[in-house]
Amino acid sequence: MVKLTIPATELVRPGHAACPGCGPALAMRLLLKGLGPRTVLSMPACCWTVIATPYPTTALGVALLDNPIESTGASISGIRAAVDALAIPDVTVVGFAGDGGTADIGLQALSGMLERRTNAIYVMYDNEAYMNTGIQRSGATPEGAWTTTTPVGGAGRGKPERKKDIMGIVLAHRPVYAATLNPSFPEDFVRKAAKAREIAGPRFLHVFAPCPPGWRYSSEETIEIGRLATDTGVFPLYEVADGHLRLTRRLSSLKPIGEYLGRQGRYAHLTPEERARLQAEVRSGWERILREDASGSPGGPFSSRSSHAATKGDTVEAA
Amino acid sequence: MLEIRFHGRGGQGAVVASELLAQAAFLDGKRPQSFPFFGVERRGAPVTAYCRIDDREVRLRTSITRPDIVVVLEPGLLRAGSAMEGLKPDGILLVNSREEPAALPAPAGVRRASVDATTIALTHGLGTPMMPIVNTAILGALAAASGAVSLGALEQAIDRFVPAHPAENRAAARDGAAAVRVAPPLTAGHSRGASSAVARAPPLELPDAPMAVASSATIATAAWRTLRPEIDQRRCTRCNFCWKFCPDVAIELNAEGFPVVHLEHCKGCGICAAECPPGAIAMVAEG
Amino acid sequence: MTQIVMSGNSAQSYAALLARVQVIAAYPITPQTTIVEKLAEFVANGRLAAQYLQVESEHSALQSVVSASALGARTYTATSSQGLLLMHEVLHWASGLRVPVVMGVVNRAVAPPWSIGADHADTIAQRDTGWIQFYAESNQEVLDTVLEAYRIAEDPAVRLPAMVTEDAFYLSHTVEPVDVPSAETVDAFLPAREVRAILVPGVPARLGSFTGPIEYVGFRRDVARAMERVLPTLAAVEEDYARRTGRDHGGPLPTYRTEDADAVLLTMGTATTTARAVIDALREEGHRVGLAKLRVFRPFPVEAVRALAASVDRIGVLDRSFTFGPTGAAAMEVRSALYDASPRPLVSDFVAGIGGRDITPEAITRMFALLEGPEPPELTWIDLAAPEASADG
Ligand SMILES: Cc1ncc(C[n+]2csc(CCOP(=O)(O)OP(=O)(O)O)c2C)c(N)n1
Ligand code: SF4
Ligand code: SF4
Repeated sequence: MVKLTIPATELVRPGHAACPGCGPALAMRLLLKGLGPRTVLSMPACCWTVIATPYPTTALGVALLDNPIESTGASISGIRAAVDALAIPDVTVVGFAGDGGTADIGLQALSGMLERRTNAIYVMYDNEAYMNTGIQRSGATPEGAWTTTTPVGGAGRGKPERKKDIMGIVLAHRPVYAATLNPSFPEDFVRKAAKAREIAGPRFLHVFAPCPPGWRYSSEETIEIGRLATDTGVFPLYEVADGHLRLTRRLSSLKPIGEYLGRQGRYAHLTPEERARLQAEVRSGWERILREDASGSPGGPFSSRSSHAATKGDTVEAA
Repeated sequence: MLEIRFHGRGGQGAVVASELLAQAAFLDGKRPQSFPFFGVERRGAPVTAYCRIDDREVRLRTSITRPDIVVVLEPGLLRAGSAMEGLKPDGILLVNSREEPAALPAPAGVRRASVDATTIALTHGLGTPMMPIVNTAILGALAAASGAVSLGALEQAIDRFVPAHPAENRAAARDGAAAVRVAPPLTAGHSRGASSAVARAPPLELPDAPMAVASSATIATAAWRTLRPEIDQRRCTRCNFCWKFCPDVAIELNAEGFPVVHLEHCKGCGICAAECPPGAIAMVAEG
Repeated sequence: MTQIVMSGNSAQSYAALLARVQVIAAYPITPQTTIVEKLAEFVANGRLAAQYLQVESEHSALQSVVSASALGARTYTATSSQGLLLMHEVLHWASGLRVPVVMGVVNRAVAPPWSIGADHADTIAQRDTGWIQFYAESNQEVLDTVLEAYRIAEDPAVRLPAMVTEDAFYLSHTVEPVDVPSAETVDAFLPAREVRAILVPGVPARLGSFTGPIEYVGFRRDVARAMERVLPTLAAVEEDYARRTGRDHGGPLPTYRTEDADAVLLTMGTATTTARAVIDALREEGHRVGLAKLRVFRPFPVEAVRALAASVDRIGVLDRSFTFGPTGAAAMEVRSALYDASPRPLVSDFVAGIGGRDITPEAITRMFALLEGPEPPELTWIDLAAPEASADG
């Protein structure tokens, strides 16, 4: 018998309609391994609306409710209220939404859900653009990235603005647990999902989710690009529990950002100067995380933030 | 009026091919119409596009269910079965394939044509082996095999409307026209493939609420694939990386812990091969 | 049963209490606020064991009760005007998912300019969302109708959301005696929700989904069919309610003094009460006039309107909102219902009471004068001028 490092149970079914190499498809697969079959998901319009396959089939082995793009936070508050009112035991209530449906049009409902301390997990899978509608920029699209609405050519240099700091916004609400997850690190991913499941209160998972057509790379590179995102410091892996930030993948040094950017067509136009600027950004972000990790609490503008924890954060490392 | 239906996969350019054909027909002095099937297009998923060409204004705004010509951008799509649906008995089937046209399955009466558009496209640097951009090569073949448009008009349309590599695309169209092969129709006794009858489904019985309970596992996504993983068990260390990373839940571990690929669901993304530490998985082209 | 002098808003809250709703979500807006304040009080003092969600918008209020209902809970929310407009997208979700959400709506004008006066523009703008719509005339009717609405909405033959509306201030903040049925009576009339086709934790299923045109049209047709079953269900539910409480509000189109009437005025909401008094006065003067109250706007009671039309020459319709189309919404529906009627009565539309303007006995008398006159106009905006200064003003 071989030893598995993540649960064998599959709650994503084959036959789904994701593009080959889809990061969000793999993310859902790993997520549900951590959350288990008594998960009730609410999901807005996003790529996963389509991936889950049209009526009369479903690609998920759990209960799933569709909701409008902007109301995932409210939907999971309602589901939790029903589960509590009807005293249905042992249910994990989860919102699963894209970056657009979370950080842009769904931000109000997310804020409401966190503020009223809904006992549920909100998952934002971040493919860094509106992909279901064909690669338009979102607030979570990184600076410099090409999208169909931030074209390259003429005066266009990709997205001029910086990526919205969704974790900063979420942490300002003092969730009981928040973490960054990356499917290229399956053990860490599943551990965080399973850990979130065991804590009561509002929880948030920020999931890195590479998208081959949207980021313009060849489908077999999804995992490697994810690894590079973390190892270059573009997407650090950490968790904030009990008000304490802890890096879950420590790096002795960052790989140069060029290794990450160079693999994706959406950054192909960047000049060395533009790359250098992005590199500086990433480095200062990484240093901030290191400081917060060392001091044990999220710093920066939220230095006073701490969470109303329901359970003590554990310190178990990835299996 | 000529009705042409294109079958490709998301990202392959079937919709662009149909539009280019319409542009070319217009340059020929015809009244064309082209539109995609309004579905949710995922890269690799089968997609359909329609083109009508007439001397007068086209007065139909419906999908094409009885095409005169069916163009298949990739032979794997013939596996999905629906490509030939409704094709007229005296119609034309044009497939991007290395095979001789005589080997193509088709209903009786249908003229069969094939062209190796993939090789032509790659020769001219169009696309990648996993996703070659074959639409201009196959349009050249279509012009030569059917006369739906002139090759001259097609080249002109490419020049005007293809932003990337127009010269290479024009060359691909010319090569496609030169390389297309046509086989005589099969007689009734020897026909294979889908019948040309358009199926009529009975009225649906639906539950009150739109609640889906069937499993997507009944949906085969094999036709999305252009490459197939082949696992060399002798080199496999049973690390199960391929299983962990497959986004399509297409790999299962057998009792001994060796990975088994479920080809009906594998989309050929190549992740398993890329992530296999000992390099025991190779991606090989689908025939 | 006890009699309590209460507002229309309290009648909404008491009905929700008696219905033993399990999940409540709401966002404040004048003049709905006292409904949700009272419910918060019921929950706080333990009279109602419900989850009360403090949401950050009406959009989220409706979304959360829709989702709660999709898991089987009996839910309640209330709103008005701008809040209802903000809910528009989710209204479609409620009917499409077939969740039996019941909502109280205080009819209020929509901005701009800002106005908190009574007006039906908010709910009329939602007529095509697949919701059952009741318009109430009195606080008693509000309370009774909310209870009936739960029975109808949750009936396996229907399974559609329902809104019970009341005019801003004329009911929402008007106190009058209301018979409150006992908890035992209501429990017998409205047992716990029977749950069907809902999401069950642990059971893989997808509620909502997406479809191609073939199934999509089927599901739309299902909603239309369910809507067709509302009025027969209402008849049965009202009969049961009357048996238990002695009160019957008379179906979708109750009439008043229409037996030998030549001209009938169709009203919605609180204008009905005043119109009844005007009719009595006009009858004294020998006018053969009557009244029909459009209590249910969705589904539109086409058959009842046709039956009424069979015996009258002229129908006036009082619309407390305007569609910016040819006429007000109720007049349009009435005309459409009567297209095939023979003989076909004349239909005259009166747009009145907009933005909280009083619908006075004089205004209604003027409507009847026009309706009975030589050439009743197709459309009249009543009371465009400022009212005369009153003698004691
Ligand atoms: C109110 C509303 N506006 C716009 C849309 C169209 N829409 C559907 S999916 C989508 C993109 C969502 O992007 P994101 O949340 O990032 O998820 P992704 O598609 O990238 O997976 C949009 C804009 C919608 N469904 N509803
Ligand atoms: S567009 Fe991107 S996110 Fe959407 S299904 Fe395809 S790979 Fe996945
Ligand atoms: S190529 Fe490998 S990883 Fe990709 S779908 Fe097929 S089996 Fe899964």
